[in-house]
Amino acid sequence: MAEEPQSVLQLPTSIAAGGEGLTDVSPETTTPEPPSSAAVSPGTEEPAGDTKKKIDILLKAVGVTPIMKTKKWAVERTRTIQGLIDFIKKFLKLVASEQLFIYVNQSFAPSPDQEVGTLYECFGSDGKLVLHYCKSQAWG
Amino acid sequence: MTDDKDVLRDVWFGRIPTCFTLYQDEITEREAEPYYSFPEKDLLHCPSKDAIEAHFMSCMKEADALKHKSQVINEMQKKDHKQLWMGLQNDRFDQFWAINRKLMEYPAEENGFRYIPFRIYQTTTERPFIQKLFRPVAADGQLHTLGDLLKEVCPSAIDPEDGEKKNQVMIHGIEPMLETPLQWLSEHLSYPDNFLHISIIPQPTD
Repeated sequence: MAEEPQSVLQLPTSIAAGGEGLTDVSPETTTPEPPSSAAVSPGTEEPAGDTKKKIDILLKAVGVTPIMKTKKWAVERTRTIQGLIDFIKKFLKLVASEQLFIYVNQSFAPSPDQEVGTLYECFGSDGKLVLHYCKSQAWG
Repeated sequence: MTDDKDVLRDVWFGRIPTCFTLYQDEITEREAEPYYSFPEKDLLHCPSKDAIEAHFMSCMKEADALKHKSQVINEMQKKDHKQLWMGLQNDRFDQFWAINRKLMEYPAEENGFRYIPFRIYQTTTERPFIQKLFRPVAADGQLHTLGDLLKEVCPSAIDPEDGEKKNQVMIHGIEPMLETPLQWLSEHLSYPDNFLHISIIPQPTD
């Protein structure tokens, strides 16, 4: 029997900041940012600099997490971490109730409402933002 | 004359030095809101205390990534991290600061942190906040001020010199002087997550 989409995730005792919050679990409802298939696109030819342009993100799997076939993505700066988590989960065909954690600098989990553009400005290097993703808490 | 440690303690307990009196007719009774629905698009859910602890520790780690390339917080033991959280949770100033003071140190040869953890919130934009890399010390060794920060990352917040005051630049509900060194603000007026949360609000017109 299919589970009811929850507005609050049931989370295990030790939790990271990846809790549901900004967007509904059900994919039919609208999300705060305009749903756009172009918001996350593979590869990168976009020149950097303009705030409207996309930034490059390199996704690295941690532990037993499935590895994404495409690791490098051009993402709109205003995309939130939650939006990115939802995208990766869909791409990896994870169930909505499965958790996914994202880490910056292999040290902290940014808040789900944080924009990737801000993270890129502060923690990007060599023209890209490296993010580690994991199905369980990796760096607490 | 209060020393810096006393300022920290006062800020912790919400004793920001202001003084005001309300006239009787300024005090109004308000009915409780009869209905409240969770603002899904504006707030994150708080599913449990553990989630809040994890979120808080992540903010601390992000702040230290900016200040010390995460070196100080990563050198701490798990029990030190726990003490930060417990100190905050139980409103224990000394317990919290016993550990947090290490996050406020910097190498003797430097004049401050590597970058200052700050977030600027404005009413005039859809953006959640402004957060960028900003050094507390200039190339010539001069300490950057709050005004320098705003000029660099949020110039619309600076009022023209001869014009009317359009904006209030607030931290903890007060307006620090724009000449205040940013390094000092970061050490003494940061919130417990070690970030300077700065609000730019339009000057109220009475």
